[in-house]
Amino acid sequence: MAPNVVPMDYTKDPDVKLPMQLIINMPELKENPFKERIVESFSEDGEGSLSFNDFVDMFSVLSEMAPRELKAIYAFKIYDFNTDNFICKSDLEKTLNKLTREELTAEEITLVCEKVIEEADMDGDGKLGFADFENMISKAPDFLSTFHIRI
Amino acid sequence: MSYHYNEAFENPDYHLSETLEIDRRRNSQENLFSYQVTYDSSLPGSYGEHSGRGQNYPLDIPMASMRHSSEYSEGLPQVNVLRRSPYGNYTDNLSFEPESELAYSPPSTFHSPYTHSISNEPEDSFIRRRNRRPHDEIFMTSSSVFEANPVGKESRSLEETLVENLASMSTSERIKAIQKMPETMKKKREIRNKVLKEITKKSRHRSTQLCCCPHCMQGIAVSFRRFGNSVSEYFHLLQLQQKTLKVIGAEFGTSVLSYFIFLKWLLTFNIFSFLINFSFLTIPQFLAAESNNLSFTGLELLTGAGYFQQTVLYYGFYTNATISKIKNGPSYNMQLAYIFTVGLYFVICFLILLFSMAKSFCRNFLNPQAFSGNASKLLCTWDFNITNEKAVKLKQKNLSTQIKEDLCEVNREVLSFSVREKVVCIVIHFASWAASLGTAVAACAGVYFLSTNNLELFMKGHRNDLESQAAMLVLPIITSVLNAFIPFFYSWLGRLERFQTPGQHIYVTIVRNIILKISIVGILCYYWLNTVAASESQCWETLVGQDIYRLIVVDFMFCLLGSFFGEFLRRIIGTTVCVSLGLPEFDIGRNVLDLIYAQTLTWIGILFSPLMPGIQIISFSIVFCVKKVSLMMNCQPPRKVWRTAQMTTTFMFLLFFPSFLGVLSVIGVTVWRLKPSEGCGPFRGLSSMYAAVSEWIEILENYTASKWVVWIYHNLITSEIFFFILSTSILVIAYLYWQIIEGRKIMIKHLQEQIINGGKDKMFLLEKLRALQMAKQTPSAPGGQGQQRSSSSYHLSWQPAQQVPDYPERAYDRNQNASYNEYPYAAGIMKGTGFPQGLEGSPCSSAPRMSEAVAIALRAREAAQWEDEDDDTYP
Repeated sequence: MAPNVVPMDYTKDPDVKLPMQLIINMPELKENPFKERIVESFSEDGEGSLSFNDFVDMFSVLSEMAPRELKAIYAFKIYDFNTDNFICKSDLEKTLNKLTREELTAEEITLVCEKVIEEADMDGDGKLGFADFENMISKAPDFLSTFHIRI
Repeated sequence: MSYHYNEAFENPDYHLSETLEIDRRRNSQENLFSYQVTYDSSLPGSYGEHSGRGQNYPLDIPMASMRHSSEYSEGLPQVNVLRRSPYGNYTDNLSFEPESELAYSPPSTFHSPYTHSISNEPEDSFIRRRNRRPHDEIFMTSSSVFEANPVGKESRSLEETLVENLASMSTSERIKAIQKMPETMKKKREIRNKVLKEITKKSRHRSTQLCCCPHCMQGIAVSFRRFGNSVSEYFHLLQLQQKTLKVIGAEFGTSVLSYFIFLKWLLTFNIFSFLINFSFLTIPQFLAAESNNLSFTGLELLTGAGYFQQTVLYYGFYTNATISKIKNGPSYNMQLAYIFTVGLYFVICFLILLFSMAKSFCRNFLNPQAFSGNASKLLCTWDFNITNEKAVKLKQKNLSTQIKEDLCEVNREVLSFSVREKVVCIVIHFASWAASLGTAVAACAGVYFLSTNNLELFMKGHRNDLESQAAMLVLPIITSVLNAFIPFFYSWLGRLERFQTPGQHIYVTIVRNIILKISIVGILCYYWLNTVAASESQCWETLVGQDIYRLIVVDFMFCLLGSFFGEFLRRIIGTTVCVSLGLPEFDIGRNVLDLIYAQTLTWIGILFSPLMPGIQIISFSIVFCVKKVSLMMNCQPPRKVWRTAQMTTTFMFLLFFPSFLGVLSVIGVTVWRLKPSEGCGPFRGLSSMYAAVSEWIEILENYTASKWVVWIYHNLITSEIFFFILSTSILVIAYLYWQIIEGRKIMIKHLQEQIINGGKDKMFLLEKLRALQMAKQTPSAPGGQGQQRSSSSYHLSWQPAQQVPDYPERAYDRNQNASYNEYPYAAGIMKGTGFPQGLEGSPCSSAPRMSEAVAIALRAREAAQWEDEDDDTYP
């Protein structure tokens, strides 16, 4: 993507990081509405710059071989926009906006988010923890095939 | 520095305690400032020197250890056992959990005098930590067992335990366990290397006295594995379709992709069958082949007759002789080869289908009774495969319309039909079922009469060559026409009916189509086995083989025509003449059913024409390319949400149940009941094909060396008792499993109830505690430093004790399988309510008593609740 960023002698200085802008422009991610979140969840510093290891991690999790548990963990991270370990209402709203190009009215969005929380929240705390998320995924058989980027 | 505060580290239990985890995590992550401040200020005397250093405190250490913690947890689920506590009753101990948490949690809103001085650095790392945190906490919930210690030494010892544990696993288990760790590649590699080192150390330890033999073996095994890996990599490179699949997935999503994956699967399946038949039947036959004296005109490609009659394509050409090139050398019995190849092929097919069906079922129907609607629609629906801009836009639009539709439905609530409407609905359903079954029956009758007439015509005389060949093509063309056009009628019927859900609509249409196709195939089989086999033709097996050949070829051409007319012309009409129609969608269901139909024909044909899979390979590859091009040029992504995974399983099942089992019964009848033709084929002169095996066994009886084969044959294969016992035991096992599943379902229901109750209990408890705290807080006026000291000393003194009640709760939760994240949730509540402030004001001595009181209250409440529920469920 940007060969000039990587020094010739890679072995000496392995901490080369690619900025997020470069990575989200690669064809596999370019049109993905969650591209920023994907890159952020896999970057070690949380700001979206990926080292080579992070990059490999990203595609290994998104590959076909990755086990369900691992995929679930990273999917949760991706949907957790404010990184508070819960998919709360604001996260859901953001997800919904990304999924629908902000075509829904605010009312509809709140309604949908409420429905989702009501449906998936097992412990009644008004937001989705990882357990709730995992439980939901176990009921959505398509998840394994859709959370997958072919390279 | 953190290890100073705790002598309890010597206690092994302490390391396993969740309390510690909660405690430390709270400290190190949620509230970094108070973490330091608490210790520094509370123990000014003994740890004074550290308090000064608190500002330079290397914040990365706890973070690093947190990362370690995540590694440990996945790999070591078995340590759960250690968490048993003397307090047997799990549910009761729920009460202790929040209490212990509260007791330790340092005030999140608390401002210490140190905050300012250390604000720069911690804040920086705090941000960093936030990013790592989801990692760790998610982990805790999934199966956290070990908690890392803030000290490097401790974590190292834990890492060793982890490595040891991993080393004791089998190779595949270990690989899986390491794969599951949500860690960076580097870390995983590190762990793996350590584990491997451990293993080699152990094995060397063991084998020093012995010899280097195991070592050599290991080396060989490793190199073998490497070789296998590299071979599979090359195979991967060879898969040219990989790129095509990616492009299709990118533009049309997973649902259309599933059709192509199914097609590819069938293709590889046919390649496998072709290889088997070719190597075991055709190559030996080539050695004994006679010359072919028929001329090749070209029309044979379409009809399969003429020139092909005298080739290895058909049953009739195979010899019944024993082939031996060298005199007195090993010989090859064609009869046995034929029957065993076909038989084994079907056994292998059966197993492959069964296993792939079971695998797909296991993957996709984990929890079929609860298919949650909206939630998964929102969070699991996005197809990460799609990378095409237009497709993304379309998908987003479709999603928003769908959500809007769903909202409308929610607002409208359930449509309550009146009695009259219901009756009308039922009548319509009934009528359309009658109509569809009637069409199927009519189609079958038509095919049957046509075929018998055709046979008579064919048998009477070979008048004109061209005319007879045209007559041969009538039957397959009519069949294909019926197969192509009746589905449109069915989908029209389906639109007339009002189904409650689109899923129902899809399934009903599929069921009708499959009834049609299978009954047409069934009637053709009846015609072949009943009429053709009884006719006095010279070689009826070859005739059947030719019929199947023609059916396959014509079906293939109709498939091409279908994609031309159905997709290409439809697109032209949709874009120019009648714009409102729009681009056509790719009809996955219909296309997959066509594939299943073609595959069924191939299976039936294998006995009569062993190279049928080869023809099917060609046709499937062409279909693959044509469909791909047509899809790219003409279609748009499907508008409906297509439950890909479920549908794939359904298709697999359809391929197995009516199709494959039907074929098996047809083959069975042919092999056991029908008399092979006298003049041709490997079985000429025998009363049935199976007689070849019995004759062989009779010959074998004369040799003492092969007595076991005879014994197996008599006692297992031909004895009814054996099959009776076998089927009975299978039924018993199936029944047992079914009962177990039923029991688990009930169990799951109960456990889910328990989870909900647990959540409610916690809410209730927190409310209660907060109320108590508030009540206590008001009299005692909050004071700055002294108050903080008291809370932290309390914190220290109670830590070791509190862990005990804590584990049962965790273990209990873990039993429920839905691992359950109570900590962050509780923390969130406390943070939100400002509860910890209240705690601070309370005198520390009262806390334990309070917790007991709350525990008793909770117990009573829970008992009441359970009683209520019992009353509800068992009146």
